[in-house]
Amino acid sequence: MRLRENFCRVIAKKKGMTRPILTLILLTLSVNLWAQTKIKGTVKDSKGENLPGVNLMIKDSYDGTSSLTDGTFSMISDEKGKQILIASFVGYKTFEQTVYLNGSEINLTISLREEINQLDAVVISAGSFTAGDEKRRTILKAIDIATTAGATADIAGALNTLPGTQKVGETGRLFVRGGTGNETRTFIDGMVVLSAYNPSAPNTPSRGRFPPFMFKGISFSTGGYSAEYGQALSSTLVLNSKDKAEINQTDIGLLSVGVDIAHTQVWEKASWTGKVQYTNLNPYMGLVKQRLDWKTAPISLEGSTVYRQKVGKSGMLKLFGNFNNSNFEMYTHAILDPTVRLPYKLANNYGYGNASYQTLLNEKWNMRSGLSYTYNKNDVTLGDSILNETEKGIHAKSVFEHSLSDQVEIRLGGEVIDRNYSASRYDTISKQFQSRSFNESISSFFGEVEAYASKHFVAKAGGRFEYNSLINQASVDPRFSMAYKPAKKGQVSLAYGSFRQTPENQYTRINTQLTPERAEHFILSYQVDSERRTFRVETYYKNYFSLVKYVNNNPYQLTNSGNGYAKGIEFFWRDSKSFKNVDYWISYSYLDTKRDYLNYPYAAVPTFASSHNFSFVYKHFITPIKTQVGFTYSYTSGRPYYNPNLPAEKFQSDRTPYYQDLSTNISYLPKTYLIIYASCTNLLGRDNIFGYQYSTLPNSSGEYVSQAIRQPAPRFILLAVFITISKNKSINQLPNL
Amino acid sequence: MKTIILLFTMALTVVANANDGRYVEAMTKNIEAVYKAQSIEELQSAVNGFDRIANAEKTKWEPSYYSAFGYVMMATREKDNVKKDSYLDLATSSVEKAKAISENESEIIAMEAFIYLIRLSVDSPSRGQKYSILAMQTLEKSLQANPENPRALMLLAQLQFGTAKFFGSPTTQACGTVTKALEKYETYKTDNPVAPRWGKQTTVDLKQNCQ
Repeated sequence: MRLRENFCRVIAKKKGMTRPILTLILLTLSVNLWAQTKIKGTVKDSKGENLPGVNLMIKDSYDGTSSLTDGTFSMISDEKGKQILIASFVGYKTFEQTVYLNGSEINLTISLREEINQLDAVVISAGSFTAGDEKRRTILKAIDIATTAGATADIAGALNTLPGTQKVGETGRLFVRGGTGNETRTFIDGMVVLSAYNPSAPNTPSRGRFPPFMFKGISFSTGGYSAEYGQALSSTLVLNSKDKAEINQTDIGLLSVGVDIAHTQVWEKASWTGKVQYTNLNPYMGLVKQRLDWKTAPISLEGSTVYRQKVGKSGMLKLFGNFNNSNFEMYTHAILDPTVRLPYKLANNYGYGNASYQTLLNEKWNMRSGLSYTYNKNDVTLGDSILNETEKGIHAKSVFEHSLSDQVEIRLGGEVIDRNYSASRYDTISKQFQSRSFNESISSFFGEVEAYASKHFVAKAGGRFEYNSLINQASVDPRFSMAYKPAKKGQVSLAYGSFRQTPENQYTRINTQLTPERAEHFILSYQVDSERRTFRVETYYKNYFSLVKYVNNNPYQLTNSGNGYAKGIEFFWRDSKSFKNVDYWISYSYLDTKRDYLNYPYAAVPTFASSHNFSFVYKHFITPIKTQVGFTYSYTSGRPYYNPNLPAEKFQSDRTPYYQDLSTNISYLPKTYLIIYASCTNLLGRDNIFGYQYSTLPNSSGEYVSQAIRQPAPRFILLAVFITISKNKSINQLPNL
Repeated sequence: MKTIILLFTMALTVVANANDGRYVEAMTKNIEAVYKAQSIEELQSAVNGFDRIANAEKTKWEPSYYSAFGYVMMATREKDNVKKDSYLDLATSSVEKAKAISENESEIIAMEAFIYLIRLSVDSPSRGQKYSILAMQTLEKSLQANPENPRALMLLAQLQFGTAKFFGSPTTQACGTVTKALEKYETYKTDNPVAPRWGKQTTVDLKQNCQ
């Protein structure tokens, strides 16, 4: 049809045409004019609102138009006969209708159905904080974690400024909603990491083993997480490593506590990064007076390697390896007589390997598979007693994701975590090594269905089946969550889940028949996101049961008869819009928790719990002097501690003074490839007390003597220079900081 | 009979040319529209036109190229960052379509770099490193395909200005690129009637920073 018309149109212009042909042409032309069909109508959405800008066209032709502001359209087509009319618009499903074009006007009312996977669709946000470069509407980005003052580029340190966490300054770990530090599990690219923290001296904070710059996305959940994650009672920290690097570069870091050097080599489809880091705290501890009596402050040598390979069109293979050797030696002083001191020595060897592969199997199926291996060996010597601990773990996992439609997605997977733990202790009385060990293998299957009823309502239901070889027990844990977003901004989410986790190694090694500790989470959350501002309020109730408990106060007789609860309310406000070049967030958490476990005579507030936690994080980029300045203020109300001088009915009724910290950091960028960095914790020098330790025996007047657990030094100051060498001079290490 | 065959053959050749004529005509109309568009609505309507042509002409890269250009322009006019990103997603998908037709076209590769530059501007503190590298590499690729492409040079100059401004370093390099881009705009020759022509005014404006 079109061919004929064009033919005529052009032929007609040609000179020297014979009359009959011209007549014929004119005739055809007029027929053509006659055959033009007018199509008009209105485009609406499913709610009946007019849609402007919709693209209307006759398939495989040029004919078409766009709908106007009032949703109406009108077009003329030269096509004839049976044709397909297409109406398409971003965010809506493409509409197709067969039309018969025969010259008579067609009047249509087209209703377009919204597509669900849109940016403004509701997402389940209860319990979770997501940080990523790519994901929009995320609360924190990877760089925010790295530039938070007081965290000194430690992931856990930065996440401690978010609601749901309790500051437990002497550990450096993430304590979430009345849970212990052990109840937060770390995963890299979906694979579990055992011993995710570096070792540290007793009552001094440890740092996470993995620096934030390795990751493109960090997802921190304070409860109610997906059925994909098991063996975590309170919280998951899911780290997604970066994809293929794009540029060859060498990074050198000179720090007041050590040096590091990294090199990245890039190929068309692959990249490799190797990094070596040497840390020695001795010079620093020699300059700045420490409360700890170090013989040799921590020295560590760490290496890591990262390899990325693109496979085919959508596949990505990631390999990561890390080893770490750290050592320190110090003296512990007896509380009753501080002149009596015992050497305490620790040597840690750690290795972690992770391989993961992700690919689209076809348009509807996506697969993720991975394998990880952790090796952790601790050799501790206190006086002449020796404790050697070794843990080895293998984790294999595969997850398949399938979209049934744009409204329903299913996720199925299976995994095996096999752990081998052994400890041997030199008994000074029998002069013999005593050893305990266990091997635990947990096989799991999990499934989850996520269904959107509309872009305003989504529900997710799933479950997790686990079989534990050590106790020969199978279990099923249900998970459920939903979210409702009535308008453009605010949304309400609800989450419920049942969770279980094998008791800590130090208990399982005593009684390998202990069953997993269990928890149930109920979360209700309200969140409003607008352009660069987030407000969130969340409340929860958490039920603990099957916690490890001593029988008759005997730590060698353990049962699962403990229980507890935690409840609270949390607020979060982040704003990077109101003030130019300023970004700040405020979080507040209220926690009410008690548990009856271990040696507790009855349900009491545990020593790691604090009722009120408050953080204020402020970052300001001062353009004229090319400097970023950051401040973090944190407040934590007093925590309970055990005072053996009190009668049993006053168990853990004493509270420490409140904790307060104001930290700062400054990054100065004089040249594109150079960063000068300084940070200082506790500017005000407050003497924070985390708790009290008591002498094991009473003194001559029958009293147990206390000793405060304090910060090893009032402040920690870090100075560093980061240099980047690359072909492209505009690259620097800022995103790494 | 002979006459008919002759006429038919002639007709076919003419039809082929005629179709191109029609293509150029429809494209020219839309190209005018996208260059003149003052609002997101007008841009959307022009983009719709290109998408219609792209649907009918499966072997031509230009319709999808201009569709991408229109979406990038929409992104620059949009204030909301999330919407900005979604326009850039659409631009990317149009660029992918154009690339599937003509993989090594310098103009298409330069458009890809343009998208990276706008992505960078959405959130430079956290996207700066990634997208400045991507934009730089893509522009290098575009200039490899055609060292005479003035738009690739103009975008490169913008990237260099941005970097210099962020670090407060001298703009000598950026200004050199601007001068070169202007030269190429003068000497740029193509026999493609619907080839891209945009970017000269921006380059002239950039030049102002160099005096």
